Parts: sequence; structure tokens; C-alpha cells
Amino acid sequence: MRGFAPLFRKELREMRRTARLWVLPGIMLFFALTAPLLAKLTPILLNSGALAEEGVVIQVADPTYLDAYRSFSQNLTQLMIMAVIIAAGGLVSGEVRKGTAALVLAKPVSRAAFVLAKGASQALLVLVTALVGAAGSWAATYLAFGEAPVAALVAGVGLWTVMALLFSAAMLVISAGVASQPGAAGIGLGAYALLAVLSLWSAAKRFTPAGLFDAVYAALAGESASLLWPALTGLVGAGLLLTGAVAVFRTREI
Amino acid sequence: MTSVALELRSVTKQFGDKLALDNLSLSVPTGSVFGFLGPNGAGKTTTIRIVAGLARATAGTVRVLGGSAGVEATAARAGVGYLPDVPGFYSWMDARSFLRFAGELFGLSGRTLEERIDVLLDLSGLVGVTQRLGEYSRGMRQRLGLAQALVNAPQLLLLDEPTSALDPLGRKNVLDMVQSLRGRTTVFFSTHILSDVERVCDSVAIINRGRLIAESSMDDLLRQYGRQWIRLEVEAPPCEMAQAVAGFPWLVESKEVEGGLRLAVRDVRAAQKAVPEMLAARGWGLRRFEVEEAGLEDVFVQLVGEAAE
Repeated sequence: MRGFAPLFRKELREMRRTARLWVLPGIMLFFALTAPLLAKLTPILLNSGALAEEGVVIQVADPTYLDAYRSFSQNLTQLMIMAVIIAAGGLVSGEVRKGTAALVLAKPVSRAAFVLAKGASQALLVLVTALVGAAGSWAATYLAFGEAPVAALVAGVGLWTVMALLFSAAMLVISAGVASQPGAAGIGLGAYALLAVLSLWSAAKRFTPAGLFDAVYAALAGESASLLWPALTGLVGAGLLLTGAVAVFRTREI
Repeated sequence: MTSVALELRSVTKQFGDKLALDNLSLSVPTGSVFGFLGPNGAGKTTTIRIVAGLARATAGTVRVLGGSAGVEATAARAGVGYLPDVPGFYSWMDARSFLRFAGELFGLSGRTLEERIDVLLDLSGLVGVTQRLGEYSRGMRQRLGLAQALVNAPQLLLLDEPTSALDPLGRKNVLDMVQSLRGRTTVFFSTHILSDVERVCDSVAIINRGRLIAESSMDDLLRQYGRQWIRLEVEAPPCEMAQAVAGFPWLVESKEVEGGLRLAVRDVRAAQKAVPEMLAARGWGLRRFEVEEAGLEDVFVQLVGEAAE
């Protein structure tokens, strides 16, 4: 896999020198901080509106850290995954379109190294994003509610990491084969919708990556769900998709 | 070192129904500056992309520096430098960091790489330029593109239309640079600017519609295909002059031009003898008799025109 090291270093520098390093962790931090805040403020907001002026009192149970974790888990499996898909839409196709891939691949560099350097940097970005999310969510939840169990948070964010890696690998395949970044993002969002629909089928939910939607929620909300198989199949799927991305890019003309 | 730096054998490239390269075979001698000529859409860029490992031939073989070339033939590319017609750069890098990155892809590092970068920045006139590459003009990008193609001190340099975006001074610099590589590096130089080829190339191939229509040294090509022209102006109407010369066996064709005729001839000596005799017989005074040397432009127009017919 000739050329991997300089390409990986370039990817890391590119993330630092462009907005790419800040976008996903930034969005993650926003959701991590706002989920406990919204959970804490929801009863107050409900009773401070027009209904309260008319003398109507809405009975809402006192919010707990679980409300914050549930809200966070929904953002993780929906908006955060969509952000991953959109951000990764041009990973390979962007370089082909701009002509940078031609200059790189005319040198003694393998196509596999080119794709895997992008995969590795994207995986690192997902891990950093997950760490930022976990740390931010723990701090904000603890400040708001005085408790924030670490184990549930680690499990939930860990499962989200698997899901984000799976979709990142899927985007590498799509981006390796599709010339347009919006087109690749569109296909990625379609794949996301398909997996979400598949998660309604109990067998798929239990044994395939489609179960990650529920697994993230269950881990954070302290509910029981199948965690092992979705996580395992998700990781295996990410690996297979990465291999597929290399195979697709090998056939592509630059 | 092999005597042939680049060899294409029966290379065909098909895009759907379109045949971009049709059984193309050519050999580029080691150390030569090889001009690869053809009109727009002839298949020049497709050929270079196949040689550079960016595209696959539908059929045929390509050998670069003695080894097989191809998308996965990474080792074969270690001795190759490549400048595409429109080079793309990472807009957030500066020239030095891009050249360092390019060098690292060839396995270069440390002092050797830094010294080479200094030389290349100097050569491309980019010393002290701290702008990011996203802010570079087209000429600056082209010069940096040539510098990055030289970072590995290549044995074979592939240049795809290297001067088309440059002003006259930039063009001169690039051509001087190419000329300075003669003997040390084989240069495969695609262009449609014939004067560039005449200036720096010692061998040339002409393709049209994906087919090779001529390949030889510059001298042989001009000798073989180059017609010599005579500019003739006499004290008579051009149409009468055209009739008067029409029967001569040395004449290939005559064209009316302002003030006289332009005659394509296959034997200048015979024309030099016959024309004065003909003028004396008819009593026409001679104003101008000028032999024009055969040029690549004539050869190109003639060969490409014949191929089109």
C-alpha cells in the first residue's frame, strides 16, 4: 500500500487547515450541550406559555439525566449521522473533480493507499467527534442534573461511533464511484433512510446494523436492546464497505 | 538503461461508442524531447493519462522505462514526472508544502528533499511567494505544476499541453527548461502549438482521431512530408501565371496569393531553372522569386488534412 503515510499526514493537515476538523465536532458539541439544557428547561417552557396565562397548569414529571440522554441519542442517530453523510460526500470525488487526485495518483501511490488514508482520517475524525460529544454531554448533563452515568454515555456514544464509521465507509464507496458531491450525499441519505426503514423489522433490528438506531437509544436510556450483533455487524459492514471503496476506486478513470 | 523510454503497442481506448485511440503504437527514444502533436480531440490527453496510470487502455500494452505501465503499476511511476493540462492543487497549501508532499509521495525526505525544493522553487520563479495555492494565477499554477513534475528528477517527463496557459515569457521559460533536460530526461510533450515543437523537439508523432499518422525525427519528417514553397510575383495577372506553370512536372499545387502565386514544389532546383526560362519566353518581368523552407505547420496541415479526407 505504497504512499499511505504521506497521504494520511496530508489528510490530517488538511483537516486542521480547512474547516473539516471543526464541523462535525462542533455540531456534536452543540447537540451535547443543548440536550441537557432543553431537558431541564422543557417543564418551565411548557408552563410559561399562553396556556399558563389562562390558568392552565401542565403537570410534567421532574426531568432527569435520562431525558437529556434520550434527547441526545435522537440527535446522534438522526442529525449527526446526516451531518457525517453530507460531510463525507466529497471525500474522493472532490479530489477527482479538482484535479488533485490526478497529480497524486500519477506518482508511485496505490489507489488503495489513497482511499484508505481518507478512510483512516475520517475514522479519526469520527472518534474525535464521539469523544467531544461524550465529554460535552457528560459535563452539561452533570451540571444540569447533578448526575450523569458514564457507562451509559460511553455505550451509547460508542454505538454511535460504529454507526458513524459504517456510514463513513458507505460514503467512501459512493464517493469513489460517483463524480458529484451532492449526488453522493443524496445516495448516502437514501441509504440512511433505507437502513432506518429496515430497523422497523425486528429480525434486522436484532442482527444487522439496522439495530444501531435502537441500540444507541437503548444504551443511553438504560433500556434493554440487542447491542452486540448490531455493533459487530456494523463494524464488519464498515470493513467490507472500505474494501469495496478500494475496489470501486481501482476501476475509476481519473 | 533501455533505449526506448516509452512504448505503446496497439493501444486502443474506447469510451462507449467513441473510439478515442485506435491501435496506437509508438516508441519514444530515451533522452529525446518527443513532440506529440494532434488537433484538439485527437487523443493526446487520453494517451498521456493511460501512460501516467490514470486511465486504462481497452486493448494494447504500454511500457514505461522498461516496465509495464498501468493503474496498479506503482513502481513504474517512480521514474515518471507528470504535468496535466490543468493541474489541480490543494488550495490551502503553499508552494513549498505542496512540493514537499509531492516529494514524500516519491519516498523523498529530509535534506535531499528540501534542497531539491529550493532548486525547483528557484527554477519556477516561486521563491519567496507565500500565497496559498488557491490564490495563484494560471501561469503560476503551471510553473508549480512543472516543478512538482520534476521533484523526483524523473527519467521520463510527461507534459500535457504545458505552454497553452502561459504568456510569451512563461512559455519561453518552460521551453528553455524542457530544452535543458535534453539528454538527461526523456520528455514526452503533447501540444498543438507547432512552433513549440519546432523549437524544442527532436522527434515527433502526429495523431488524428486516435490514429498515428506520422512518427519520425523532426528532420526526417520535414524531409519526407515537407513540401517546399516558392513565392512568385511577376508582371502578369496571377491567373495567367497559374496557367503558365500548370504543366510543369515539379509543381504539386499553386495558390493565388496577394500579388502573385504560392507554388508547392517537389523539386526546387528544377523550378529555379524552369521559371526564369518561362518568364523570358513570355516576356514577363520578375518581381519576386523566394524559396520558403518547409515548416512543421505545412506538414501538420497536410497530414491531418489527408487523414481527414
